[in-house]
Amino acid sequence: MPKLMRPSRAGRNLLLAVPVATFALIGNASAQCVNCTNDAPKDILTNLIDQSNSDYLTQSPQNLMMMGNNPAYFVVDDGKALFERKRGPNNKSLETCDFGKGPGVLAGAYAEMPRYFEDTGRVMDLETRLVHCMKTIQGFPEDAPELTNRSQIRALMAYVAAQSNGYAWDPPMEHPLEKAMRDAGEAMFYRRSSILDFSCNTCHGETGKRIRASVLPNMNNPKEWTKAVSWPAQRVGKSSVRSPYQRVRGCYWQMRKGRINRRSDAAIAIMSFWKDAARGEPAILPDLKR
Amino acid sequence: MDRTWRHNPAFFALFVLLLCAFASGHAVAGSSKNVDYTEMSAEELAEYLIFKANGFDTDMKTQEGGTVRARLQQDKLQKTCSALNGGQIDSATAQKVTEMARENTAYPDGGIELGDWEKGQTIAENAYGYRVGHKIDDHEARQTGGLCINCHQMEEDKKIRSGTLGPSLIGYGETRGLTEQTKQYTYEVIYNPHQFFPCTKMPRFGANDFLSQDKIAHVMAYLLDPDSPVNQ
Repeated sequence: MPKLMRPSRAGRNLLLAVPVATFALIGNASAQCVNCTNDAPKDILTNLIDQSNSDYLTQSPQNLMMMGNNPAYFVVDDGKALFERKRGPNNKSLETCDFGKGPGVLAGAYAEMPRYFEDTGRVMDLETRLVHCMKTIQGFPEDAPELTNRSQIRALMAYVAAQSNGYAWDPPMEHPLEKAMRDAGEAMFYRRSSILDFSCNTCHGETGKRIRASVLPNMNNPKEWTKAVSWPAQRVGKSSVRSPYQRVRGCYWQMRKGRINRRSDAAIAIMSFWKDAARGEPAILPDLKR
Repeated sequence: MDRTWRHNPAFFALFVLLLCAFASGHAVAGSSKNVDYTEMSAEELAEYLIFKANGFDTDMKTQEGGTVRARLQQDKLQKTCSALNGGQIDSATAQKVTEMARENTAYPDGGIELGDWEKGQTIAENAYGYRVGHKIDDHEARQTGGLCINCHQMEEDKKIRSGTLGPSLIGYGETRGLTEQTKQYTYEVIYNPHQFFPCTKMPRFGANDFLSQDKIAHVMAYLLDPDSPVNQ
């Protein structure tokens, strides 16, 4: 797998304001691109809009305009530096971490997660896998503060995820556990409970519906749903990059169902179903959201 | 050390074999010991992940004096409607759910009366209350609401910031008139809408004790009172 290409000096001088990662990503994608597109996040979204006439995708022209200067690129850069830094008791970087496509292979890896990992015998999402590598490769003990440093882990996630920009979502369903987790996630998606009788399907089963002013993405429409599951993303309303787990947690909180636990199999199951529902459509990473 | 054995083909093959044996032994197991996720139905696994695999903070206390565990446990109606997986309801299930909802409807002691539409408007536009988790709604500090505006358009000039998951209620009282029948129907829809719309997405505000009788009366006034902006 080719290493990330460094931007040329001239290119850097031309667009000083845009972080290095932007160039690195584009460079990487053009080097080898199978089942993916070389487009930048903004162009991917523009293409989806052209194909689908979706109120959800078009609801924020300002955000679309801003995508080229997404502040999340700074977080991606931070994540890259942290990923390559030798850390932990073993003084090692995360560059040998296997996200499912072999040690050190990042291109398109996140588009195929969650997935089953033979070395742990379980289905893992990106956050769980990163933490696993921090423990096994870098040697961080179970109670190390680095394992719960959310902004650092979010930056690492943003970096790894950005290497799947433009790749079609393609979570594997070959191992029985991958299928079992996806199906349990589907059951959770439709499972109504609590004092408002809500399920995920209450808001995400139809196209063009709104909660107050927000247009909701429809899980049954992959062209809308790919944007909905493209996390980590910059949340303009929160002025920060948020993780996929934070999206799931926020939904359960609004549904009055309490807190779904971080790195739990329940959260991974929901994400397995999510990604499967977006299958075939290109990931937008990093995305910029309301 | 690491280097020498890895470069010895015989040892490396043995290592790979052992690794495979180890992996296949674990292949059927989920993250929790001695539990095979693949042996469960999707629904069974979902229940297991929610309640037994530390999926949720189930012991957390809730504002109504219960726990998250109790909130996540489904009643019969929730179970029946979840099983549709978002699809169309068949007539037999519709019949069953309608009956369940009727049995489950209670009426205020002094009969169904309208409250104050201005209070009803405040309640309809307030979505605060009953959220627990990484943040907790403080019922001592703020009034809880009915979330109506999240899903329904109720006033013409608030249309763009009102939801569309439910039907528009603009002019609700004006079109239906203020009669004993419309009062009863409106009360029953707010209390438990499944008796008219089986497996609707709308919450059972009365049956689930989300809104008090007083609050329901105010929201009804907001919908039905000729002076309410809903009917202007």
